[in-house]
Amino acid sequence: MNKNLQVILMYFITHVGLIFFMYPTDIIESASRTHWVPIFIGMVFHLVFIWIYMKGLSYFPGKNIIDIYMEKGKGLSLIFLIPIIGYFFLANITTVRAYSEIINIVFLSETPLWATMIPFLFIATYIAAKGINVIFHTAFIVACVFLPLFLFIFILSFQNVDWRYFFPLFDIDYSFISNRSYYKSFFSFAGVFLFLGFIQPYHTYDRKKVFLSAILLLPFFLFSVYVPILTFGQATSATFQFPFVTALDSVYISWLVFDRITMFFLISLLIFIMIFLSLLLWMVCSILVHFVPIVKHSYVLYFLSILIFIICVMLPDWKVVENLFWWNTYFRFYVILVIPFSVLIFGVRSKRKVR
Amino acid sequence: MVKLSLKLIFLVFVIVTLTGCWDTKDIDHRLLPVAMGISKEGEEYQVILQVPEPVGGQMKNRIIKESGQTITKTIDTLSGNMESQIDLLHVKVILIDKQLAKEGVKDVISGFMRSRDVSSNALVTICDEDIEKFFNTVSNDLDVNAINLFEFFEKNAGWTPQIALTRVWQVYRSVHSYTHDVAVPIVVSGGSTNIRHMGSAVMKNGKMVETITPDETLLINAFKEESAQGRVEVSDHASVLIISNKTNSKSNFIDDEPSLENVINLKVVLLETKSDHTIELIKEELSTILQERFDGMFTKLQESEADILGLGQHFRNKIPRRELKDWRSKYYQELKMHLSVEIDIQNTGFLKSNSSDQSAN
Repeated sequence: MNKNLQVILMYFITHVGLIFFMYPTDIIESASRTHWVPIFIGMVFHLVFIWIYMKGLSYFPGKNIIDIYMEKGKGLSLIFLIPIIGYFFLANITTVRAYSEIINIVFLSETPLWATMIPFLFIATYIAAKGINVIFHTAFIVACVFLPLFLFIFILSFQNVDWRYFFPLFDIDYSFISNRSYYKSFFSFAGVFLFLGFIQPYHTYDRKKVFLSAILLLPFFLFSVYVPILTFGQATSATFQFPFVTALDSVYISWLVFDRITMFFLISLLIFIMIFLSLLLWMVCSILVHFVPIVKHSYVLYFLSILIFIICVMLPDWKVVENLFWWNTYFRFYVILVIPFSVLIFGVRSKRKVR
Repeated sequence: MVKLSLKLIFLVFVIVTLTGCWDTKDIDHRLLPVAMGISKEGEEYQVILQVPEPVGGQMKNRIIKESGQTITKTIDTLSGNMESQIDLLHVKVILIDKQLAKEGVKDVISGFMRSRDVSSNALVTICDEDIEKFFNTVSNDLDVNAINLFEFFEKNAGWTPQIALTRVWQVYRSVHSYTHDVAVPIVVSGGSTNIRHMGSAVMKNGKMVETITPDETLLINAFKEESAQGRVEVSDHASVLIISNKTNSKSNFIDDEPSLENVINLKVVLLETKSDHTIELIKEELSTILQERFDGMFTKLQESEADILGLGQHFRNKIPRRELKDWRSKYYQELKMHLSVEIDIQNTGFLKSNSSDQSAN
């Protein structure tokens, strides 16, 4: 059954949820001017690997990525899938912890971390336990309710921009290539795309449309970085922990009912992140269940989220979270490079065999 | 059955945690000050808060003050001594003592930006007298309307284009930015209007370095296209009301010499004339007066090295970023600025005015 719109919306909102916090910080940290260059390079990279990935998957209609690797033997599939598990697991931990930290920094400064993490994880686990269809339906409803609000606030964020901060346009700064932060920023590109390989028997999609929705993300990537720079300038933005949130804080509209629109913005993004989390949990579980088929899917899930919760609580401070984030970069580049290419290679080979 | 009860327990649990209420304090246990004054005595900050309180159906202003090493600590001490907790969420105006402004407000402003207690949209003002005296005078005389100080600066209330509007985040930007400074209004108490606007302070990197008059502030607002509704007197012949304004700038950078051509287009309406002068004369005089005033102010600003007009912005694509750092100290000094004011008199109200060809008849 073709469920294009749901897949596209899922792709879109989960990315949007990931873009607006860490991504601008990383990009602003990695380059001192002409930020559009690292953004475009990242974006081109993103488009190339999702295209390769989707092309590879198209050779195996109706099969998900686990089936594809399983065809090649259990040993090989273990080698390919274990780093994915590691990646998802670390991504889960860093996302839960980082986003509850963000909630604490921005609005619930007196609430202990565990109290923000519990509902976060609990709801994500609950949605994930209900299966992939429910995740997609929830994403659809959430998108209907919160995307308009998000877009409205996104447009408002341009209130204080001074377009001249865009200059210099061509005094290109290449220092980002050697900067750690730049590689961390790939979190926003590579966090989500793998799900396209997991949903196959349940959901099919039109490759072109997913690709188009990826292109549609470009302005969000670009302006998540440029709105703070156009508002404050590079030197000032570099001092902020979450530049976009701070830029949003400076919006002042007297006719608006709510005093601080940042809150509404954050809440819609956090809900998108919850969907993302449930997707992550569901994907890890489906891999795990494949290797240990005796255990029920939901039990693996509960165990996993409790484990994640315990680890999240035990992490002492933000520095450790950033370190975890950095370690995950290795897994991430493995996922970005190896998975799409291997799927494509297997695909091309199996097609030849058929001939 | 077990499953259902488990679900119910979870549901209750979710309802409890999802409210996000932790250590909640009811609104009647919070004090929500609208104005905050900060001065420094020696190493200690003195913080004064103006809190509107309902007394017998009417709003009364209550002034509380405390001093301490840091502002947060001071607020905390105040909270500790009072029956309610002080919540700075609704602070709309921050008054800074002139002396403190001269020493620099970098730490104070960075603190506000970091903790997010005070909205980054709060207005920053400088007080040219003892802050306590200011608060006492202002709130004693106007105890009926508790938020008068805030309304003084509100665009849809007491604000006029002679007043610079500067928010916390803009001051913070001026501390760090290479090319952007701010003008902050100066107020004192007194007179029959309680608050008296004295012009603006020019803040460079968070330090007050120069002052400009209200008329000069109007020009700055005109340059930033925010001067509509401002009234300008034309020597002793007339006064006009600015309806709309538009600025065009053209920047040039030849041999390390920056130059800027500016044209401000003002659309005005004639308000008052004192004797029979032709429209052309009024136009010409208005344009000369504004140009002269601008040139005078600009020389003053150049000497103080504060770029409150954000002129460096026009050179961002011409000066490499490495050298943009020296914009204020190196290039700004040498900037050749040429400003011309073009005036359109949109109408002359209910009365006809003489124009030169009419008077020829």
